[in-house]
Amino acid sequence: MTVLSRDPAKPFTLVPSRVLRPRRVRRGVDIWLAGAALLLALIGAVLVWSATRQRLSDEGRDPQGYLYRHLANIGIGLALVAIAARVDVRRLRIVGPVLYGASLLGLLAVFAFGRTINGAHAWLALPGGMQLQPAEFMKLGLIAGMATMFAQRAAERHAERPTTSDVLIATVLITVPLLLIMLQPDLGSAMVLAAAGFGVLIAADVPARWTLGLIALGALGTFLAIKSGVLAEYQLARFRVFAHPGEDPRGASYNVMQAHIAIANGGLFGRGLFHGPQTRGAFVPEQQTDFIYSVAGEEFGLLGAGLIIVLFAVLCWRGLRIAAHAGRAGRLIAVGVVCWFAFQAFQNIGMNLGLTPVTGLPLPFVSYGGSSMFAQALAVGLLLAVARYSTTQRPVV
Amino acid sequence: MAERRSRRLTVVGVLVASLVLTLFGRLYYVQVLDPHKPTQTAGLLHGGEYTVPAPRGQILDALGRPLVTNRTAHVITVDRETLLEQPDQGAAVLAGLAAVLRTPEHDLAQEITPCGVHVPSPCWTGEPFQPVPVETDASTAAVLAVAEHRELYPGVKVDTETVRDYPGGTLAAHILGYTGAVSADDEKRNPKLNDADTIGRSGLEQEYDSLLRGTDGAQVVQLDPRGFAVGASQEIAPEPGDTLVTSIDRDVQRLAEQAIREQIAKSREAGMPATGAAVVVMDPNTGRILAVASYPTYDPQLFVGGISVADYRRLIEPSANDPLVSRAIAGAYAPGSTFKLISSSSIITHGEATLDGRYPCPPALSVDGRIKTNFESEAPGYPLTLAEALKISCDTWFYAFAANEYYADQARADAGKKPNEYLQHMAAAFGVGTAPGVDLPADEQAAGSYADRESRLARWRANRKQYCADAARGFPQEPDPVQRAYLTKLARENCTDGWRYRAGDNADMAIGQGETTVSPLQLAVAYSAMINGGTLWRPTLGWKVVDPHGKVIRTIKPTVRGVLPVSQGLLHYFANALHFAGDHSVSGAIAFDGAPYKTQIGGKTGTAEVFGKQDTSWFASWGPLDGHGHARFVAVGMVEQAGLGSHAAAPMVRTVYDGLLGVGQPPVLPESRPETSPVIR
Repeated sequence: MTVLSRDPAKPFTLVPSRVLRPRRVRRGVDIWLAGAALLLALIGAVLVWSATRQRLSDEGRDPQGYLYRHLANIGIGLALVAIAARVDVRRLRIVGPVLYGASLLGLLAVFAFGRTINGAHAWLALPGGMQLQPAEFMKLGLIAGMATMFAQRAAERHAERPTTSDVLIATVLITVPLLLIMLQPDLGSAMVLAAAGFGVLIAADVPARWTLGLIALGALGTFLAIKSGVLAEYQLARFRVFAHPGEDPRGASYNVMQAHIAIANGGLFGRGLFHGPQTRGAFVPEQQTDFIYSVAGEEFGLLGAGLIIVLFAVLCWRGLRIAAHAGRAGRLIAVGVVCWFAFQAFQNIGMNLGLTPVTGLPLPFVSYGGSSMFAQALAVGLLLAVARYSTTQRPVV
Repeated sequence: MAERRSRRLTVVGVLVASLVLTLFGRLYYVQVLDPHKPTQTAGLLHGGEYTVPAPRGQILDALGRPLVTNRTAHVITVDRETLLEQPDQGAAVLAGLAAVLRTPEHDLAQEITPCGVHVPSPCWTGEPFQPVPVETDASTAAVLAVAEHRELYPGVKVDTETVRDYPGGTLAAHILGYTGAVSADDEKRNPKLNDADTIGRSGLEQEYDSLLRGTDGAQVVQLDPRGFAVGASQEIAPEPGDTLVTSIDRDVQRLAEQAIREQIAKSREAGMPATGAAVVVMDPNTGRILAVASYPTYDPQLFVGGISVADYRRLIEPSANDPLVSRAIAGAYAPGSTFKLISSSSIITHGEATLDGRYPCPPALSVDGRIKTNFESEAPGYPLTLAEALKISCDTWFYAFAANEYYADQARADAGKKPNEYLQHMAAAFGVGTAPGVDLPADEQAAGSYADRESRLARWRANRKQYCADAARGFPQEPDPVQRAYLTKLARENCTDGWRYRAGDNADMAIGQGETTVSPLQLAVAYSAMINGGTLWRPTLGWKVVDPHGKVIRTIKPTVRGVLPVSQGLLHYFANALHFAGDHSVSGAIAFDGAPYKTQIGGKTGTAEVFGKQDTSWFASWGPLDGHGHARFVAVGMVEQAGLGSHAAAPMVRTVYDGLLGVGQPPVLPESRPETSPVIR
């Protein structure tokens, strides 16, 4: 690859890009990023423990059952981080399509032999009693897939700005898994997918008119799908509950109210671990997954709940920093992952605080749940890999 | 280019920062600033309830003495919530309780865990907040162990519940019936039923179940969202079931059962199998039943709180000889000569004989080429009037009329007319062939039976294929060549002629043999109709229904099922013909020799042959007669495989009369009952 030097002294010298010496190749681990994620996961373990011990013991089961499983998930997650961090980002053109393809196959498999939990047909049963939620992996798959697609086509073209056909391919890459997930129906994951894809599009320098146009098109498509009767009645019913949580007073709005009570009564310093009456009394259903933040709010107060927000802010800051120093593909991945984490954390904490509508989304790293933990661990690992190979020298192409 | 890129990253960074700030702001407001912080309200608590079963109503005898009542049983319950509040989650309490109850601790722990996805059976199917009964009808030792060391057993309570009690033991078990736990099928039939209820499974308990059951109460508790009870609970008191007063007299019932037991012992001493027996005592003037006894019997107490598999197996095994079935009401037996009341009614009513005419009583008679003999071929050697034929029970006298009636019907049939079948119609008029309609479950009363042309044809049509196939195949599985030849011949006959109703069949019916069967209760109803002037009652056991406050809310009246198509004169003739004099001219009178009331009663014996078994012994009687010819009682006795009617059934019924009328003891019934109104004690 060559580039024209703009040195006025040597106006027409051709300089091969390989000759450009990277100023600095940082081979260390981004301690801030890894530390923030691990701390969130450990805080999550304590919160999951607090949320489940009373309920489990009431049912005559091991009160530490969920804690142990969450710790096991963290252990597996650490291994996945280590594996993903070793990926050579220059090999992304292989990793990206593989991740995307495998996740998409998983989504299709859900339709063939999936299992329904909490109203969504989103789970694959694995041998040994384990269950997998392919939508969680699709988030990372989409980001990696889009990033490699943009990077590779730009490299082939020797031009940075994406072309119309790039954008059309990206649209297809987003739309197919989006529709599959909406049909499960898992609107929370679909929204996260859209947000991550949106992040990649922005980072890829897609012109604003395209980005905004795609958002408008997506909204129109959703509207038509609802109106045209393509969707089954039960799916429409889920849309309605999503749009009007008040219509389901025993479900979503009850959760919101109970979570609100829990957080509001945490105050500045909280009620102390295992001493939140809402948590102890198991007033909040699904507290160890979607409403885990309410445990933090009640038992650790503003300090603990604020710390979680801070840790997410650190995560995003480091992600964007890595993006700023990364090559093209790495940058797109980093921005995509940041958008994913930021949006999902905002949506989850927001619904605990009564700010956003209730969707079934776990709080990244903190909530109990294997699939989301593993997918997020892979994402963190990938960010670390990107950071490892980034340079202060920004390659032109 | 680089600037564009970093500008784009800045956009994302600003977006993220704004999200973070939004969350912080909201969190700070919710936790610190909000002046109207929501609090957990009591309104979020919800109520739960569990059923408190109503005590079943009692069943009393005609004088208000209890036949079935309730007793209090101790129940040891475990409150899970209290256990879970213990530092060791109740492990020590369970261990101690398991030792007291002599059950494995693990079983006890499983028993009290509410059923759920992760909880396999056995588990607690009731409400999770409800104390779990772990020992029903607990022993005094267990109750004392728990009650005296309350500090060792927090959450363990001794409760009481009412269970069925039978003060008379096995007394009247068949008519009272037994109760059982409500099944899923019951709940499907009647959604008001609850797992905690008991339901009548047979006898009066089943027939009057809806009245006896009462209305369940409920324990209403406040629950927190985990389903744990908080605060004081409230009880909706159950409404006990109504009391059923029956026309059964406890003493007469006891007398009848005693008479059966004594006779069974005597007959067995005489070498007879005497496998079962029944006595029915009823008031022929009202249709009310005073006693129904059947042997062998069972102990309804076994069914309280659920019968064990071993006990139930003992009751239904063949050697137990069906103790759960009332032979008096559900049993159908060939009535033998007691049926001659019905044959005579037919013969006289249809003018085949006159009351003063004399007709032959030969030692043997050939009907349709088959020789039919008198019992042990006895014959007086001269023609007899109907009264004489009844007194000595001459079979050939009746064979002749039945055969003639048959031939007349065949002639009508040959002429294309409908056969009269007088005998069959008379049997139906006396109630044979239809259930007596007593107030017991329909499947517990035998209808009795008789053969006629139509039923014979219908049966042949249904089975012809089998008969003909058997005739063609010739029973190759039968090893004995003689038996094989006999069966083959029979099958061949049935194949071609099985539809045919023969003269011999009609002759058999006239003396209560062949396919003729009745239950002892049916015979009592028939003889009641004879002595009361022709009223065929639908007999009753229930008399009054009394609500828990002691108010009579319903009087059960026996209804008239029909009137015999027989003249009053003929009915009087029967009563006179079979009335006992001092002598032995009436068959069976010999059993009453020495009884002071002998000349106030009458009766008819029956000795029915049963293929491959000893004869069924029958005695149908009435008395004592008042000045107007009204009998106070009709008493029917039947003993399976016991020989002559005058040898077993008649002495058994005599024991009943002796007790009723006070021979050598104070009379069981000093005055006419059950005309007096019931007294509730």
